[in-house]
Amino acid sequence: MTARQTIPEGNAVVTERMAVRIVSLLLIVAAVCVFVLWSANPMGSGSETTFALFLGADLVAVAMISYVQRSVSEQESISRAPLIAGCCFVLVLVVAGIYLL
Amino acid sequence: MEATDEDSQQGGRAENERTGLVERTLGWFDSRLGLSYQLLRPAPQYSINPFYWLGALATVAFVIQGVTGGIMLLYYVPSPTQAYATTQYIFQNVSYGTFLETIHLYTAYAMIMLAFMHMMRGYFVSVHKKPRELMWVVGMVMGFVTLGFGFTGYLLPWTIVSKSATDVGIGMIGALPQPFASSLTFLIVGSGTDAGELLRFYDLHVFILPAVLLVLLVVKMYMLESHGVSEPTTGVESLPPKKRRLIPIFPDVSIYLVELAALFGAAVILISVIFPLTLPQEYSAALAGQSVAQPDWYFLWIYQILKISAFEEAGLPVALSVVTLIFIALVLLPFIDRGKTRSIQDRMVYVTLGAIFVAEVAVLAVWGYLTPGMAIPDETALLVLGGTALLVALVSVVAYRAVFGGLRVFAKSRGGQGVPSVAASSSVPKLAPKSAAIWTSSTFVILLAAGAFFIGESINQVVSLVLGTTAALPSLALSLVGLSLTVLGILYFLYRLDLGSGAIRRRVRAFEIGWKE
Repeated sequence: MTARQTIPEGNAVVTERMAVRIVSLLLIVAAVCVFVLWSANPMGSGSETTFALFLGADLVAVAMISYVQRSVSEQESISRAPLIAGCCFVLVLVVAGIYLL
Repeated sequence: MEATDEDSQQGGRAENERTGLVERTLGWFDSRLGLSYQLLRPAPQYSINPFYWLGALATVAFVIQGVTGGIMLLYYVPSPTQAYATTQYIFQNVSYGTFLETIHLYTAYAMIMLAFMHMMRGYFVSVHKKPRELMWVVGMVMGFVTLGFGFTGYLLPWTIVSKSATDVGIGMIGALPQPFASSLTFLIVGSGTDAGELLRFYDLHVFILPAVLLVLLVVKMYMLESHGVSEPTTGVESLPPKKRRLIPIFPDVSIYLVELAALFGAAVILISVIFPLTLPQEYSAALAGQSVAQPDWYFLWIYQILKISAFEEAGLPVALSVVTLIFIALVLLPFIDRGKTRSIQDRMVYVTLGAIFVAEVAVLAVWGYLTPGMAIPDETALLVLGGTALLVALVSVVAYRAVFGGLRVFAKSRGGQGVPSVAASSSVPKLAPKSAAIWTSSTFVILLAAGAFFIGESINQVVSLVLGTTAALPSLALSLVGLSLTVLGILYFLYRLDLGSGAIRRRVRAFEIGWKE
């Protein structure tokens, strides 16, 4: 089954649970990103890139949380593809940001 | 009776436990602030699609520009002696200064691109028709204001690139018929000194244009509230009931907009990380004589028209009149295209004209980028522009025949059995509608990108040949082969898509309204 297909009812429940857990994780990631954004040294070398990476991760996390919230409130099935792609994207951004810290 | 009370109390406690802290907090605020009271008109579910919110994304870009520009204003001094130095100071000494400047520039680019996409999407799905004619006119004026932002903001860093390009633009305005030339030049340049010019541009960019845009935005929002979002060209009746239902602006549509805005912001930020802005050299009269003036990419198509030999010197007012006529035609489109139908299927001429316009603008811009400062011979211009128009028209006609007519006739002539459907064939796995939409759009984007590349490359090689570089001949042959293969690929792709059951029509609808089967 491709990720963009309509998910059968049983899988939908699993995906929704997964989505809720991911949202909790994203909230933590977003909070950590905001903390890093405030505490980063603005004049340090490469600090602009670090700032941009964490800000980007924060925004992607916000977009994913909005997506899950919207899907749940509209009682629509949550696709796995955006969740997995978003999580990978956030992970890459955060890892790159930590590497440059 | 007691048992009933006890049951209801237990039920109430259970209900309270189920109600989480977040819900209770939101409920507390809602009861005090009336957040759930719907002031704005609800939107239909089918409008939950990025194509419906391109204008909103342009507004998000405007807001980001307001914030970043406001921070830069703390340091920037609009005088010829200090403009460059203060811009350089922002780059080198202000915390995240390069990031600010880069984001400010890229959101400006994004705003112009989104406004253009918003206009063309509106054109193709006929949003300019009754009762939204004035919305279109206001939107077009907003588009001009957006271009004005680009034009005025470009000068402010006072670099060699920006000052030279702005001088070219002012020279173009000076070639307009009187009294427009003198009055517009005075309005934009002022006394004619560098200081007066920079101050005028600064005032326009920072105070006047934002104020005008905000007023127009309010007017347009009022009209949107009055008419609602446009219906799909296929009519609301053709949609599944779920797509027709109305959803409140808060929280449903608002959350969707937050989602889009966050993704847009992340994309701009990442692009700014990958391609950070560097400040060109400061403007000086001596350096200006050595460099080739070139406007920014969104004005390149106009600049390229002006570089055609026939339009140079005495022909400049003619060229400017042509460009002005294009803009006037776009503004007055609702009063020119007065047909009642909004269906893409029944508007082949307008859709083809729109596609030719987009292709010509893209070709002129790329061509202008590749040939800075070169005059374009009339024959070459005719060949490239005429060829592009012909190619797009041919593709459009063939696509219309394939999608809405030709192949169906062919199918009927086979005794009603039709051409075997790809989707129905047992040997080919049937794709789900969503996957098919992704697959279709990806293939189409790749084909279009290849087409654009090969057209651009062909034009480049033609220009090189015209300039006498014989080594360009093999490259030109390769580009033409590539272009031919791409056109063949597009035709084959359209043929495969429509084979059997008119699949493209469904996809047109899926692109437009995000329709799911």
